Amino acid sequence: MMLKLLTKPMRCLAAAKLTRYASSGSSQPSAEHAVTETTKDETVVPVTKALDGWAGKLKEAGVEDTDFNLKCIVSHVLQRKFNTVPDNYANVSFNSSQLRDFERFCEARCARMPLQHIIGEWDFMDITLKTAPTVFIPRPETEEFVRRVIEEYRESEHIDMLEVGCGSGAMSLSMLHALPHVDATGIERSKAATALAWENAKLLGLHQRFKVYNHTMEENKYMPEELKDKQYDLIISNPPYVKTMEFQYLHPEVVVYENINALDGGPDGLRVARLVFDLACVHLRPGGKLWLELGNEHPPLVKTIMNLKYEGRLRFVDSYKDQYKRERFVQIEKV
Amino acid sequence: MFTHKLFNLRCRSLMRKYASQTSAAASSVRLENEKLQKYLENLRGEYYALRVNTAGNSHAYARMARLEGVVNALERQRALERNLTSKHDLDKETDEDMRKLMEEENEVYTDLIRKQEEVILQELLLLADDENYPAVIFEVNAGAGGQEAMLFAKELYEMYTNYFEHMGWDFEEYAYETTDIGGLRHANIMVNDSQAYMWLCNEAGVHRVQRVPATEKSGRMHTSTASITVIPRPADFQINIAEKDLKIETKRASGAGGQHVNTTDSAVRIVHLPTGLAVESQSERSQLKNRELALKRLQAKLLQQQLQSAESSKQATRKAQQGSLNRNEKIRTYNYVQDRVTDHRIQGGTLHNISGFLEGGDQLSRLIERLQLEQRKVKLASLIEMWQPPSDVNN
Repeated sequence: MMLKLLTKPMRCLAAAKLTRYASSGSSQPSAEHAVTETTKDETVVPVTKALDGWAGKLKEAGVEDTDFNLKCIVSHVLQRKFNTVPDNYANVSFNSSQLRDFERFCEARCARMPLQHIIGEWDFMDITLKTAPTVFIPRPETEEFVRRVIEEYRESEHIDMLEVGCGSGAMSLSMLHALPHVDATGIERSKAATALAWENAKLLGLHQRFKVYNHTMEENKYMPEELKDKQYDLIISNPPYVKTMEFQYLHPEVVVYENINALDGGPDGLRVARLVFDLACVHLRPGGKLWLELGNEHPPLVKTIMNLKYEGRLRFVDSYKDQYKRERFVQIEKV
Repeated sequence: MFTHKLFNLRCRSLMRKYASQTSAAASSVRLENEKLQKYLENLRGEYYALRVNTAGNSHAYARMARLEGVVNALERQRALERNLTSKHDLDKETDEDMRKLMEEENEVYTDLIRKQEEVILQELLLLADDENYPAVIFEVNAGAGGQEAMLFAKELYEMYTNYFEHMGWDFEEYAYETTDIGGLRHANIMVNDSQAYMWLCNEAGVHRVQRVPATEKSGRMHTSTASITVIPRPADFQINIAEKDLKIETKRASGAGGQHVNTTDSAVRIVHLPTGLAVESQSERSQLKNRELALKRLQAKLLQQQLQSAESSKQATRKAQQGSLNRNEKIRTYNYVQDRVTDHRIQGGTLHNISGFLEGGDQLSRLIERLQLEQRKVKLASLIEMWQPPSDVNN
């Protein structure tokens, strides 16, 4: 809570920047606007020229990987697919309104607004998802996680899957996209994320096999009323696992702009994961699996918790490393 | 299978078309040729021997399937020959009308036999190419001529990728190095089709372009080159990359990762520890996608490395195909001033309308077919030339 208050001014600043540019760009019927209107068609600026100085400004603001950031913004402004824009921007140019957009987006990026929020969409595995300011943006590690689960279930029979905290729908929807024999249900505490997940499902044409419920998981009320007796073959979750103490060290992209609810895992980072364990005890079929993405110090801890508290109910199967050799993913089985 | 059939049809019509201009080498490919007759008889013997004892040997089955066409055609021809009335019988016939009828009948059969001979030759030609590879690695390299050569390489690259699409082949691009002004230094494509090698092998070599380059200010004509290399990938060739042999470098590699950071450093660099080979990819937004791309590139690189080192003959192939990238070891010339494309390996190999040719559609396809046919004839002729009847060997 404290953090939220502290970061508020920064948030407002970036938002103001976005709106200021937006209004000067479109809604003000001022004289200045009329001038730009008439000269609009002649003003074509080569992208290489428009880029001038921005790399430096971004770096100064603490943004790394500036070339990539700029290329994402450029392709978004041009409304072209990322991989169709040449790296050297040969023969690409902006018209004046595109140039204004470009500068507005770069300013926002300098204020450390996450790139994925600025361009409003992001690629996750084989699908492209819309992003929204208050909804958690999936990470590359999560792609690895989903890839692992997909491989596990590629050859299986029909699967009833539940995702706890589905956010924008990234994990469930890419599972559905890859595996036609999966039906997925998501529960999500944020109203905005619930709506976004549903929107993404419809955009991807996967909504027939996907259901999403707005529900906050609580002790003894893990699932929405209509699903209280339902059991699943597979539960996946990427629960918030950042320890509350760690927030002060994180990048502004995360702390200022991302939904704290999707990140804050309590003092040891396992507060929500523990609820998921309890949920799995009730809602997994015997032999069903629970797959989790966690922080790199969590898997041994989870193993201990399983052995001490869930004996006879859940069994720790194995843990897996991500590509950076950090132990991050766990597989648990319902006994 | 269907394409094969089409190809056969095509070849047959082409055969007729070019029958008049058969080259010297192919003249030995006539059915009257005694050695060819022996060769055919030998194939027939081999076929029946295989039919009797192919106990579950897939190699033998494959060979049998290949021989089947020729042997069937041969049998049909023999059957036709038996229908001919011999000269002796003709002379013996006293009834004039009857003899006339027999002669007429003979004419019909002779005609049929001639046609059947063509079929046999056709089948033999098909038998002559024994290379069968599931995929090929197709390379385009800019040669002599600096920027202009790179621009030309780019045009060739586009021509061939269009051709691959025209043929309906599945292909993947592994390496692609461009230059500032839109030229191409080097590209590497894997074409996944078992027909690809057969068609593309004649495209390997040095391609020469003669024109006033876009980069030239004083309007002089230049001659530049680009080379094409076609390396077949044998069926049993596989690359296994162990996860533990990979070192993956991204900016995320340090720190806590996961939910703790939201950086978009999608660029991936992978180092293959046993060989020290490094590959990179940053052409997608998704890091996983980039990783997959980088892995593919690594695989292609390893494949190439192994193909080169394991089979020195393959390297010789490449060397022979690329030449030393001199301007005079060319297989084909693209002359813009005269708007013509000339293939130097066949007679009458000059075509007009360069821009149409560079689209990689029918025009290129037709030239490749002609080259193919020509090459097969030469190959079959040399095959028969080289062939020794087994009895001779035994004696």
